[in-house]
Amino acid sequence: MVLMYLVKKEFRQVFRDRAMVWIIFVVPIIQLLVFAYAVTLDLKNVRLAVLDHDRTAASRRLIEAYFATDLFIPAGSVGRPDDLKKLLIEGRADMTLWIPRGYGGDLAGGRQVSVGIAVNGTNSSLAGRGGGYAWAVIMQENERLIEEILLKNPADSRIHSIRPVTRFYYNPELRSRFYMIPAVVVIIVTIISGLLTGMAVVREKEIGTLEQLMVSPITPFQFIAGKTIPFVILSYVELSIATTIAVLLFKLPLEGSFLLLAGCMLIYLLVTLGGGLLASTVSQTQQQAMFTIWFFLVFGFIMSGFFFPIRNMPAWAQYLTYINPLRYMMDIVRGIFLKGSTLTDLLPHLLPLFALGVLMFSAAILRFRKRLG
Amino acid sequence: MRRVIGIARKEILHILRDPRSLAVAILMPAMMVLLFGFAINLELRDLPVGILDMDGSSASRELIRSMTSSGFIVNGGYLSSRSEIEPGFRHNRFQAALVIPRGYARSLIRNPSTEVQILIDGADGATAATVDNYMNAVIAMTNRSSLPRSLAPSLPLLEARIRYFFNPQLVSAHFIVPGLVALIMVMICAILTSITVAREKETGTMEQILTAPVGAHQIILGKFIPYILIGAFDASLILAIGHLVLDVPMHGSWMVLAGYSMLYLLIALALGLLISTVSRTQQVAMMLALITTLLPTLLLSGFIFDHSSMPVVLQHLSKIVPATYYLRVIRGIMLVGRNWFPLEGGVMLGMTVVLLITAVRRFKSRLE
Amino acid sequence: MYKSNPTSETPSDYAVLAQGLTRRFGRFTAVDRIDLSVRPGEIFGFLGPNGAGKTTAIRMFCGLLLPSEGEGWVNGLSIRKESEIIKRRIGYMSQKFSLYNDLTVGENLEFYGGIYGMKKSAIRERSEALLKHVGLVKHRRKLTGSLPLGYKQRLALGCAALHDPTILFLDEPTGGVDPSARRGFWELIYELAERGTTVFVTTHYMDEAEYCGRISIMTDGRIVALGSPSDLKGTFNVKSMQDVFLRAVES
Repeated sequence: MVLMYLVKKEFRQVFRDRAMVWIIFVVPIIQLLVFAYAVTLDLKNVRLAVLDHDRTAASRRLIEAYFATDLFIPAGSVGRPDDLKKLLIEGRADMTLWIPRGYGGDLAGGRQVSVGIAVNGTNSSLAGRGGGYAWAVIMQENERLIEEILLKNPADSRIHSIRPVTRFYYNPELRSRFYMIPAVVVIIVTIISGLLTGMAVVREKEIGTLEQLMVSPITPFQFIAGKTIPFVILSYVELSIATTIAVLLFKLPLEGSFLLLAGCMLIYLLVTLGGGLLASTVSQTQQQAMFTIWFFLVFGFIMSGFFFPIRNMPAWAQYLTYINPLRYMMDIVRGIFLKGSTLTDLLPHLLPLFALGVLMFSAAILRFRKRLG
Repeated sequence: MRRVIGIARKEILHILRDPRSLAVAILMPAMMVLLFGFAINLELRDLPVGILDMDGSSASRELIRSMTSSGFIVNGGYLSSRSEIEPGFRHNRFQAALVIPRGYARSLIRNPSTEVQILIDGADGATAATVDNYMNAVIAMTNRSSLPRSLAPSLPLLEARIRYFFNPQLVSAHFIVPGLVALIMVMICAILTSITVAREKETGTMEQILTAPVGAHQIILGKFIPYILIGAFDASLILAIGHLVLDVPMHGSWMVLAGYSMLYLLIALALGLLISTVSRTQQVAMMLALITTLLPTLLLSGFIFDHSSMPVVLQHLSKIVPATYYLRVIRGIMLVGRNWFPLEGGVMLGMTVVLLITAVRRFKSRLE
Repeated sequence: MYKSNPTSETPSDYAVLAQGLTRRFGRFTAVDRIDLSVRPGEIFGFLGPNGAGKTTAIRMFCGLLLPSEGEGWVNGLSIRKESEIIKRRIGYMSQKFSLYNDLTVGENLEFYGGIYGMKKSAIRERSEALLKHVGLVKHRRKLTGSLPLGYKQRLALGCAALHDPTILFLDEPTGGVDPSARRGFWELIYELAERGTTVFVTTHYMDEAEYCGRISIMTDGRIVALGSPSDLKGTFNVKSMQDVFLRAVES
């Protein structure tokens, strides 16, 4: 039937351009790899420079406590406070620790003692967490000191403490990569289905074949289907490749059902394809289409909850995210991969997504006439 | 020289006449700065924690109060049974749950140690770890403050004074706005340049220019000028908004910043030119531009994600990303007050030279 | 002088009929109340300088634009109300040739045949015949983008005629092509007309007027002359179509 010819032509065009093949198959894989490995919000290898004025066994023990894990790595040991500041300024240390003279003595005498920690606050997120960890080490050391003393005096019945026991759900090793990868899948699919489809339609406008198609008996529905079906198929190919790599290479758990994931993606594609088509109806050149789609994509990504948590945003921004399809899709994909979310769990995300999709797609179809002007 | 200006004028007119180019070139950066300044926050705050208080005593309420008093954690709702915890995670209602067992208050008085459970949604690994840290710390402090007076004086008390330099309030904007300059400059310049040239190639106007007595160097210069102007304008816009509206400090010299920024701009433009010489269609040009400029700048340069926690391979890769060096420079100038960056300056200069030579050479050979 | 058409005949007697057809874009009138008729099997030329409104007129006939005023019929069907039905039996070749440069010659033909609903066997047969006709058999597997302009032009004609339309609308089909190629192209048009296809051609080359059965001259949206080349030359008492044009515009 007619649709077959349209789809066939589209696929031929896509695969004949070697660069496009690279873009569709190789680039997303590179993206996946880079994102997964680069995007770690985990703290590691924070460079800590130390000024130990005390040089006792106690101070050495504190220093060892810091470097016991790979959280902190030594960035040098200096003799004067000014040197500490210099290392921070020159960017050769991320944090500095200053242990005052008399540290060991004060502790042994049961007195209060204070160490100085300076953090390079430039990277506020890292600094905040780094500072938090640094403080945690201090607290742990404090607890250890108290325990030691209490051990010497048998358990005093007057000591009562709370013991917290932590359990992590879904991601016991807390790999931030697991949080990121599902989101990258969404990004890949969005770019392929939104950007490329929109540009493909405008390309026909530019080279004049759109006019030719308008003079032919094909219906707007056939035209749109012919343009979108190939990219729907390609999006599913992307989804499969990305999921396979994620699960096999990165050991990303897939707690939920892949079928559900595929189904949700269909709804998401309604939105992205509709958006791409809509953009193409208001653009005369590929460049215009690209800029338009790009504009919305960038802000869509920023406000999707991928990089920056939505919870932290002011109220007005949070309201805006309710019309951002990426926000819903991110939650859906993460839910399915990491939490084993079921259809009922996801309905609050799927329904708005569906509504948005219907809106976009109908708008696109309505604007699509077989006439110029 | 006149011809160069002629080409530059044509290019500028193109951009000015197309409202979408303007939107991407000017509106987008402005919106992004404001968005990042006012809406985006990298810090963790107001994390909802679900409370399952099976004891209901004043002691348990006291624990809950001390957990939520700092604002870091907020009460995410009272649960009535354990079975509500997982659904709460899956529906993103709260990030963690605090389970206080029945008999908590009595056990506190009788037993040396009483267990409470902290259940955390680990999906968001980084936040999860921080929540864990925090809740443990609160409990540790509670423990310490509950030590009987008579014992307390003879127990050592280790404390830390923590100071944050260069950004004492840990304002996200101070960190992000300089990075945004780098990101937007490279995004716009590279994309616009590569697209423009690719477009001219496709629609054939490149041949028309070539038939005029204009040399390749002049074409390139003419093309660069408008984007240099746009890039300079954008950078100034972002910095102005950042400094005046968002209070991002400027401890160093504006001149020095301008100089290094110019260098960075040239790198971006040369990259854009290079991309245009290897792309046959606009779709390809755009994708290539995204991959080689946007992605590395976003992920590998230190814009948001820190180098220290990346695997070694990527750390090496980040060394060839121009933004890595520029970010050090701009943050160093604005937040730290440094004005001399021998290493970064040298590398950037080298990159500029290499990229320009390669791009110009390829451009010339494409013309013939 | 310009003769108006008798309106007593019905639209279905004509391949193309226009009455007071007008198209405005805002304040600008591109096509200003034109009347014309084309009989089945004719080669009708639509002459005029660039910007005269020829493309706009052809677009109205093809259903790409709605008229602002007036009415038109193609194959007896109204261009206002039945354009989708019209599109099934007409062929169109635009100024840009509208070919897919990244498909081969054969693939372009296959595509255009397919979207007109032709069966696979029919497509194959007709493609063979057309390729022979236009002399592109050897180039079937070549990428359209690699063809010289003259060949692309022939391929575009082939694609437009593949589904055996009753009327072919050709908009400046010979633009930018050298004279010998133009002549060759017109031979193809003749062959199509001989088989009964009506051909409606626009051009700004005055010498091509000689190839047509009847022509109309259009300037500034209005038809200033209509008739066969010999009639018009007689009416204006001149020897060449160029002079016909000059005289017609003056009056």
